[in-house]
Amino acid sequence: MKLGGEYTFDGPREDVWELVRDPAVLATCLPGTQSVQKIGDNQYEGEIKVHIGPIVGVFAGRLFVTNEVPPESCTLTVEGKGKVGFLKGIGNIDMIDCGDRKTLMKYTGEVQIGGKIASVGQRLFDTVSKNMIKQGLDKLNEILHERGAIG
Amino acid sequence: MTTKFIGKRVKRNEDPRLLTGQAQFVDDVEIPGMLHAAFLRSDYAHARLLSIDVSEARKRAGVVAVFTAEDMGDDWQPGPPLVSPPPTVKDVIFHSRRQVPLVKDKVRHAGEAIAVVIAESRYIAEDAVEDILVEFEPLEAVIDLEKGLEAGSPLVHDDLESNLAAHLFQKKGDYEAAREKADLVIARRIVVDRGAAAAMENRGIVTDWDKKSQHLTVWDTTQAPIPIRNGLVARLGLSEHKVRVIAPFIGGGFGPKMMMFYPEEMLIPWVSMKLNRPIKWIEDRRENFYATTQERGQIHDVEIALSKDGHILGLKDIFLHDTGAYDPYGLTTPLNTQCHVMGPYDIKNFTSEVSVVFTNKTLVTPVRGAGRPQGIYIIERLLDIAARELGIDLIAIRKRNLIPPDAFPYEHEIIDQAFAPLVLDSGNYWPVMEKALEMVGYDQFIEYEQPRLRAEGKYVGIGVIPFLESTGVGPYEGARVTVEASGKINVATGIGTQGQGHFTSFAQIVAEQLGVAVCDVRIVTGDTAEFHWGTGTFASRGAVVAGNAIHASASIVRQKVLKLASKILKTPEEELELEDGLVRVIDIPHKSISLGELALLANPLRGAVQPGTEPGLEATAYFGPQYGATAFGTHAMILEIDPETMMLEIKRYITVEDCGTVLNPLILEGQIHGGVSMGIGNAYYEKLHFDENGQLLNASFADYLIPSATELPRIEVGHVETQSPLNELGAKGVGEAGTLPVPALFAQAIENALNNRDLEILETPLSPNRLYELLRPNEEKSR
Repeated sequence: MKLGGEYTFDGPREDVWELVRDPAVLATCLPGTQSVQKIGDNQYEGEIKVHIGPIVGVFAGRLFVTNEVPPESCTLTVEGKGKVGFLKGIGNIDMIDCGDRKTLMKYTGEVQIGGKIASVGQRLFDTVSKNMIKQGLDKLNEILHERGAIG
Repeated sequence: MTTKFIGKRVKRNEDPRLLTGQAQFVDDVEIPGMLHAAFLRSDYAHARLLSIDVSEARKRAGVVAVFTAEDMGDDWQPGPPLVSPPPTVKDVIFHSRRQVPLVKDKVRHAGEAIAVVIAESRYIAEDAVEDILVEFEPLEAVIDLEKGLEAGSPLVHDDLESNLAAHLFQKKGDYEAAREKADLVIARRIVVDRGAAAAMENRGIVTDWDKKSQHLTVWDTTQAPIPIRNGLVARLGLSEHKVRVIAPFIGGGFGPKMMMFYPEEMLIPWVSMKLNRPIKWIEDRRENFYATTQERGQIHDVEIALSKDGHILGLKDIFLHDTGAYDPYGLTTPLNTQCHVMGPYDIKNFTSEVSVVFTNKTLVTPVRGAGRPQGIYIIERLLDIAARELGIDLIAIRKRNLIPPDAFPYEHEIIDQAFAPLVLDSGNYWPVMEKALEMVGYDQFIEYEQPRLRAEGKYVGIGVIPFLESTGVGPYEGARVTVEASGKINVATGIGTQGQGHFTSFAQIVAEQLGVAVCDVRIVTGDTAEFHWGTGTFASRGAVVAGNAIHASASIVRQKVLKLASKILKTPEEELELEDGLVRVIDIPHKSISLGELALLANPLRGAVQPGTEPGLEATAYFGPQYGATAFGTHAMILEIDPETMMLEIKRYITVEDCGTVLNPLILEGQIHGGVSMGIGNAYYEKLHFDENGQLLNASFADYLIPSATELPRIEVGHVETQSPLNELGAKGVGEAGTLPVPALFAQAIENALNNRDLEILETPLSPNRLYELLRPNEEKSR
């Protein structure tokens, strides 16, 4: 399943980059995230609770960041597993400095899902994942605003 | 032959019980102390099992036991092969790989069972399944049939050189020579995809092991209770008389319940004996989508050679058949395809080559039709294309090629599922087609209605598809008929019943012989304690094979009744008749004796009998046909397509069946109605979507659409009777007939309705969405 989209942040590219690369921030942003820990250079471990239609489950997984070119781009690899199935995804993030304290984020990725989330949830998975990403990015932007206000 | 009961529209004996909830299904069985099973099934389609930790599950309150493959020790063995490959075909390649009770080393399809939890309730068992930790090494899945055969493909079975499960070549005549002489050769790739049988009742098993009497009782939703008993006896080391398998009322079989052994079918009785407790397992719908067998996936590269007047000179079909992760059912399904791809047509030159492929998908075994719908789809699509290219009418090209009535018995020559060259026993095809054309008003529609409706901007089309079906195959069935002291008749036969109306049609056969009311004949099916010889309900054979065994037994009982009554009434047998539960002297109706009294007299308590006398009015007989009886039919349909949404409305649906002697038209029509509705699903709604990793993406009825009342038309059924010479009743099977031609009929009628020369449908199942996609390139072209 392919995912992709764009989002414009109200902040300079370096600030956005710093936020995205902070696990503590990520944990508060992505809906349902229960924990995120750094376990190594560019490796994180965490748990996230996902609701997809009738299916509710906790996924435990790892996130790897590779091909990192701060503050421009990176590749994210996610592997998660839970009682309701598994998912495996790989995605690329590009940050484009639009000037005027605006940053355009472009993301593309591909996700494989299996188990109950695939067999029963696939029809809703696309919508749910888009919503989760949108909510997460909105929250990040909010934090950006708050920090901007303080700074 | 004038009949009193056979051929009559008798209401079903079983319906009052079914309609008032008094019929026993497997899930109705409750035994004190019964435990419940739930399975841990793989999320992955292909993965190595690295480790499994059930310790947390075992600790959960209410959990009695958890078993993995390792816990089974030496009792872990793959299931027995159900059907061996045909020994009669030369150079056949067949690699037998059978399903396992629980995965030991490698998962081969999503939903394969890894562990079973036994608990005080299903609720607890399901929770405990989630406590189990499994470590997998995911492997690349084999999904696409062609890629699966490429060098370097991942292997479903590591010990084989490739994913080729079987290879089979059959021919008659000389196709290449016929091709040389042809005016037209059409070559196409035609793809048939997979569907589910989706019986209303999922599978289920209840087992009760009585340690003191060393007796095992198993209630099982199987179409084949006797082979299940025999298999359990062999595996569990028990005496045949210590294992009773009961297949009670079952909410639909459709083939997958003929598969044996399912892993659960062997495992649950084994666990019951281990724990010395009754156990129940009822499959849920999601499990059914993964763990119950499916069918239809084939890719055909096919070629037909014709003369310019539309005579078929030859046919060549090279195809791939998806068998899923294992192949316990041998080659039954692809053999049926090979036997049906020539349709009801007289084709002298034929070549067919099938490669069966292992994939990381659920197992494939016959589903109502069992390879036949694919064959029918292919030949009928080719004839539609040929008719178009040659400028011949769709009906005329078929009529021209039908096997003529004087050609029977027709040597088809191709080896069929019974491992012998198929012989078509009897038939008279054109009158059946003609009747369907009359019923649907073909000429009237083509000449007047269609032009008028098209002028109104409506997309209306007509389709007419003839088909044959090999039915009523051997080897044999048996029955025991007994006149009881009450005057009622008890009949026991070995096959199981899943809604076919056996309790009525079989009763009619007996009533005809013994002159009793149909409701006074009690039929027992699917209980090995009542009758323990036989094979099962499959291949449209119940009425033909078990029906004739019952007829044979009842005929013997009739002779016994007449002999005894003659002695008691002091009247020659020829002067007696069996009517209203009595044996009467024809000319002196008040001089009579009831069957019940005769039954008592036939079982004396004191006194002497002639040496060699058998007690009671009872007989057991068997029937095994020399080969299967071949039925014929034609379906016709008028439909209208909404050009925006591609939704269909079926305006008329006609079926004309020639299944030999009609035992009960009411039951026959019910079978046809059910078959057509399944065919409509196969044609336009039902398709299992597997992704490239072997994940089934529509494993629920929210996403996998079964036609409902709103999609189903009123189905008009006509009959023509050409009796089979192979059995006393003259019967042929009809259980699958309703399903077989429907995808071909849809393709033809849709093309006719859309009247778009660029549209050539070469796949099934279709869907509104898929039809829209097929039309899109055409729309772009015309712009």
